[in-house]
Amino acid sequence: MSVPREVTRHEDAIPQLADVNVPDELKTWIEQRMAMYPDPKSATIPCLMQAQKLHGWLSPDAVRQVAAVMRVTPAYLVSVASFYDMFELQERGRHTIYMCTNISCMLRGADAVMAELEAAVGVSDGDVSDDGIFLRRFECLGACDIAPMASVDGVYVGPLTVDDAKQLVEDLRAERDVLPAKHLTKRPVAATFWSGGAPAGSGAGEA
Amino acid sequence: MNDDVKRDEATARAGDVADQSGKSSVGETVRPGEDNVVTDQAAVAIEEPRLQYQSPFTVVDALPPGYTKKPAGEPERKIISFTIDGAEVRAPEGIMLVDAAKYGGVEIPVFCYEPKLGAPVGACRMCLVEIEGIPKLQTACSTPVRDGMAVITKSPRVIEAQNGVVEFILLNHPLDCPVCDKGGECPLQDISYGWGSGKSRTTEPKRHFEKPVALSDGIAIDRERCILCYRCVRFSQEVSEDYQLVLLDRGAGAHVGTFDGSQYIAPFSGNVIELCPVGALTSRAYRFRARPWDIEQGGSVCTLCPAQCNVSYTVRDDKVMRTLARDNNAVDDGWLCDKGRFAYQAWESEARITTPLVRQGDKLLPARWDHALDVAAAALKKSGERTAALAGGATTNEEAWLLRRLMLEGLNSPHIDSRRGGKLSLDVARTLTQPALTVSVPDIEWADAVLVLDSEPVDDMPILDLRLRKGVRRNGMKLAIATPRPSSLDANTALVARYAPGYAGAFAQAVQAELDGSGDVDDYAARAGADAADVRAVAALLKGAERPVILWSERMLYTTAGAAPAQALCNIADRLGVGEREGAGLMQIPIQANGRGLREVGFLPNIGPGLTDGQPGRTGMSSDEIAAALGSDISALITVNVDPIVEYPNGRTWAAALAKAPTVIAFSTWLDPATALHADVVFPAEVGPEKEGTVTHPDGRIQRLRQTVERAGEVNAGWWVVGELAKRLGLDLGVKIANQATAQIAAGVPIYEGITTTEIGGTGVRWQERGAASNLPAPDATTFLLEAPPAAPQPNGRLRLGDFKSLWSGGEVVNAATLRALASGPRRVELSPVDGHRLGVASGDTVTLKTESGELSALVALRDAVPAGAAFLMTDERDGNEALRAALAGAPELIEVVK
Amino acid sequence: MDELLFQDIDEPGLNTIEVYERRGGYETLKKALRELDGEQVLAELQASGVRGRGGAGFAMGTKAGFLPKGTMDKYLCCNADESEPGTFKDRELMQKNPHQLVEGIILASYAAGINKAFIYIRGEYDAQASILEAAVREAYEHGHLGENIHGSGFGVSLVVHRGAGAYICGEETALLDSLEGKRGNPRLKPPFPANAGLFQGPTLINNVETLSNVSHIVKHGGEWYAKIGTEKSTGTKLVSVSGCVQRPGNYEIELGIPAREIIFGLAGGPLPGREIKAWFPGGSSSPLLTPDEFDLPYDFDSIAGAGSMLGSGAIIVIDDSVSIVDVALRTASFYKHESCGKCTPCREGTNWTTKMLQRVADGDATPMDLDLIAGVQQQIMGNCLCVLGDAMAMPVSSMVNKFRDEFEAHLEAARASRTPLADAPAKLDLVGGLVPGVIA
Repeated sequence: MSVPREVTRHEDAIPQLADVNVPDELKTWIEQRMAMYPDPKSATIPCLMQAQKLHGWLSPDAVRQVAAVMRVTPAYLVSVASFYDMFELQERGRHTIYMCTNISCMLRGADAVMAELEAAVGVSDGDVSDDGIFLRRFECLGACDIAPMASVDGVYVGPLTVDDAKQLVEDLRAERDVLPAKHLTKRPVAATFWSGGAPAGSGAGEA
Repeated sequence: MNDDVKRDEATARAGDVADQSGKSSVGETVRPGEDNVVTDQAAVAIEEPRLQYQSPFTVVDALPPGYTKKPAGEPERKIISFTIDGAEVRAPEGIMLVDAAKYGGVEIPVFCYEPKLGAPVGACRMCLVEIEGIPKLQTACSTPVRDGMAVITKSPRVIEAQNGVVEFILLNHPLDCPVCDKGGECPLQDISYGWGSGKSRTTEPKRHFEKPVALSDGIAIDRERCILCYRCVRFSQEVSEDYQLVLLDRGAGAHVGTFDGSQYIAPFSGNVIELCPVGALTSRAYRFRARPWDIEQGGSVCTLCPAQCNVSYTVRDDKVMRTLARDNNAVDDGWLCDKGRFAYQAWESEARITTPLVRQGDKLLPARWDHALDVAAAALKKSGERTAALAGGATTNEEAWLLRRLMLEGLNSPHIDSRRGGKLSLDVARTLTQPALTVSVPDIEWADAVLVLDSEPVDDMPILDLRLRKGVRRNGMKLAIATPRPSSLDANTALVARYAPGYAGAFAQAVQAELDGSGDVDDYAARAGADAADVRAVAALLKGAERPVILWSERMLYTTAGAAPAQALCNIADRLGVGEREGAGLMQIPIQANGRGLREVGFLPNIGPGLTDGQPGRTGMSSDEIAAALGSDISALITVNVDPIVEYPNGRTWAAALAKAPTVIAFSTWLDPATALHADVVFPAEVGPEKEGTVTHPDGRIQRLRQTVERAGEVNAGWWVVGELAKRLGLDLGVKIANQATAQIAAGVPIYEGITTTEIGGTGVRWQERGAASNLPAPDATTFLLEAPPAAPQPNGRLRLGDFKSLWSGGEVVNAATLRALASGPRRVELSPVDGHRLGVASGDTVTLKTESGELSALVALRDAVPAGAAFLMTDERDGNEALRAALAGAPELIEVVK
Repeated sequence: MDELLFQDIDEPGLNTIEVYERRGGYETLKKALRELDGEQVLAELQASGVRGRGGAGFAMGTKAGFLPKGTMDKYLCCNADESEPGTFKDRELMQKNPHQLVEGIILASYAAGINKAFIYIRGEYDAQASILEAAVREAYEHGHLGENIHGSGFGVSLVVHRGAGAYICGEETALLDSLEGKRGNPRLKPPFPANAGLFQGPTLINNVETLSNVSHIVKHGGEWYAKIGTEKSTGTKLVSVSGCVQRPGNYEIELGIPAREIIFGLAGGPLPGREIKAWFPGGSSSPLLTPDEFDLPYDFDSIAGAGSMLGSGAIIVIDDSVSIVDVALRTASFYKHESCGKCTPCREGTNWTTKMLQRVADGDATPMDLDLIAGVQQQIMGNCLCVLGDAMAMPVSSMVNKFRDEFEAHLEAARASRTPLADAPAKLDLVGGLVPGVIA
């Protein structure tokens, strides 16, 4: 039984700002976010997400930075972070693909699309490719109307065919807009959509 | 805490037998499924094919252990009646059904429920019961009992749910009981046996983790055994609030861990071992050392600090194998600090003195008792009334009483002291001792406003830290912290005030001035180095409270301000009218574990037993005066459990004085500097589990130490050694067993009049709550006119120096394997980031601290909360060197910090 | 029926305050602040009979009425953590008409005397959260949010708070813990949020769709609203239809129309050449219904009467090309993934069920295992801290019971195709692979 890590003093459980080099921008962001709540601890999830955006993942250093500004222990933060699916406590790539494989997407062929994505990215579920594409199966993303679908760097695309999967990865590697014709935000409500109402480019709900 | 021991204690309390015998056997009292089942439950066992588990827990006290009365702030509960399995039961309204059921002798099984951890969480679902009128089963741990409620705990539905939960819990449990340290004292075993179906239907693979993994030097974690009851992480988050032991991941993958695999280093971490209801968290020091049937439990009191927590030593083959908490809500609330929990290892260490030592030239050599006693007695005889004595630390009331008699009657010397400065006036001492002005520990928990003045509880009296956190978290207490150094309680406070190190007295006078207009608040605050707004806020908080409490450190009495800080406290108590209010008052946090007891039995130069007048014309020298007189008017010094070089603020003076002393006789556990360098005769001192006697808690609770193991090596009882010395001086102290000394105290200390060990029992008794309390002499004056306080020096580019002694110091820490690492590492000085930036230093840099009288080096720790212009130096035994003593000599000074 | 929530939903720029106000948006708010006191607004909500659209279907006005009166801080949490598989209606509302929601939140706050409001939106809804943030900013700029709104003396703040991926945060007390910056564990009830919710203060929690209804109710009156739908299920309902249908999507319906009209009428029925085998009437946690039940009126009570639930109004259609065994496994593994782990029956029960269903899917099981699976569901149901355990136990139980034949056929087919032991490959990893259920 080996004892991990060096001994610390209990007074040092919360990292000191003086010892942690927090980027000014992140520090300001966290301080402003904390001020939005009656209890500053409420800002935990948004602040962790901001640090994750900055660092690409919640590295131990990223966690320490948030901890020093928020005056909480890093353990508290990883406890929270590890509860939520969108926090990455392992290093991940520049791009993230969440492929929905829940019931509605499964019913429309999500597993085949996922298999194709794995082949195209060259990794299996939960891994990062050498060129920085992180692919994972995800539970229902709330877009069963475009099943099977995926969230690519936060952008919802679908319905996806097996061919779309290849195109999606190609677009991502070329650093261009992914499957522009299949963005959820360009799609009108079902009644309009299925009656042939103008789908893309109508401006409805453009974000 | 483990249930068997708890039950054992409950049984012991009920029978009051173990209290007196000093020992009781876990193995004999409660083994589920043995005698206790057969007698009452035979009929049931015949009807029911499966064995029924019957808890031995049938007696429930109306008040928690240690409580003699309900604290003033705690709400009243009326008694209601409800039925459980058809039987009518009376219980206090609103307590949880799990507890209410015990009033009817019914045990409802629980894993996650532990009221000490705060509000129930209802997570394990083990306690599901049926309540008439509610369709779904309810968790008995979270359902408050109401009048007329009908509860069913044995219906088929309930039994099915209980079987189901046990089955679920065992799905992933390795069932490795034969090699599990918890085996035999495991609630999971008991509950599986008593409430499980006895068979498993799963064929799936179990979850696997590396096992066991070290969580720290003290704790091992076996995640496979964990049943995710969350007790440990709730402790870390809701009791000790260190937020270091946490739950990681979610759902079936959830597991207990720390940040990035780091160690769980926190002052109270060891409590999670006792909280764990399975073998997931075990003590690395105790692992595989014994099985429950190999051991005995012996109750006593920890005397490593003034908190005097009640402990239960696990003994095997006359050796302490572990230390467990022995719930006494009036003292410790059932918690222990890690120092108290693991210190027993040190008592077995090589470093401990276990034979008498006599100096030969520059060496201390082991000696036979007769020889050592003869040498010491001869020196004392020669020194006669030019002998002085100092007592400290864990010295019992009995030892102090006998030594006092030896000094007064045997040597005709009144030069005895248990304080570390000049004399405290009789009026101040009596005023601050008034029962009406003193709060009990439970009073603190229920106070609506508490001021902590000049103390870091986690270092000075650790368990108090938890009590304060509990008050804030659960009872809405408003906490004010007034300290020079940032406190670990700052985050819990209603307000934080800082002042210059050593100027707590000036701060108190400023608060008084705000309360009664006796001075210029702005001026006084400036003299204290404090913000006047903070002073006003503290005063307003105390004034606005119904039950204000002030916890103040004895340290305040040892500054250049003399008696003024104590007098200011008397004045504040008067202005707040705490004497007339139940649950309001003051409590001193003594520096030494039995500081209060030593003073109350009269181990003072100017005050007699029970704060009676000292003998007329026989005022002795205070410790300061003794130091000055060593080698001239004083030719022999006896020290009992105290090393003035290390422990007294003017250590350097003492180092010089001791060098001049012709004779030094030390009662000592460790070769501390004063002992090692200057003692002529050393008597090995007893440690916790070896001792018999009484000590007095800072709130006046007289507690009993009971011998649990045979003394190590050649060690003899302290009272016996004093008696032998007296005999050689022609004085018969009349003590043949320890209890006789207690009887002498009961006869000789008016405020302790008539006290017996039986009355003290297992949970102690506060003398203020006994009739003899009226024997306390009334002070001539209870308020005092004060001059303006002295002003803290302005830094002007230098830094104000403060020092602090960490919890992680002392022979018990450096000599215990589990704790040693906490005390190691270079000397540390805490600076503010502002000063760090100015000086161009970062954390981890080495700096030199310079004063007029000397210099020393230390490692910088920049802390965001340290006020600019101040530096805080951690001091402990390892620093018993001239350089540090020089730097710290005398009153707080300014220092220069050089990179 | 006229659309209420979806009225001109695809009008370009409706998500901006300019278009929303041009269409009369925030007029109801101004009028209410001018002419009605909070109690009167509350009375309209109560009169409307609108039931919560998040899943439980509790009357919204009644819930708002539970909040204590007084001047303490009171909170509103808009539950925008839409995560129930098959549900995607709130996403559409937030993305396309965010101000309808914001106005509803302000009015609901006024009704219940709330001064601090939050929208807890699931982190995956990145685009929608950005739209909401912009809308909230605009509402502040136009004086609809903040202190002393339009000179009424009433003020409320609104913060958009993003979650980070946890289904359980849709459970109202888990949402509160998450919003307080903790792990999203459900809390014990009581105390109920109306008494001690966010930051231990009185808290009203409502779903996006529910709150989006508020401005319409206040505008037209509760009585008017109550006339839409059935007596006990008033108003319109957004229904998310997905799975094996021709036209998946969100449809706004009047509660009480036959389910057949939704599945076959609006959603176009099964895909060509396929037959519908089963359907979830209210998200993946609702027990499956069969084609026999297409004619049920689609409202809270009728669906409950058939032993299922309307839930969040998400119909997932399963056709004959899909194995119920796969659906059961997928359902169970979802809830296993999402169980917070706090209480034993849910944490262990979802995990155990998933392992057993995996074995069934792999063909390594016997019909006796089906009995065990069904039994374990009974052991979970009603015994958990929150409803997540039940959310798995109910549908899984319904699948195993209603489609027992299909499960048994699946196992029998697997048994028949199993390689006889004599023909098995020479090298066998006995512990690791072939023999299922050996405890390694």
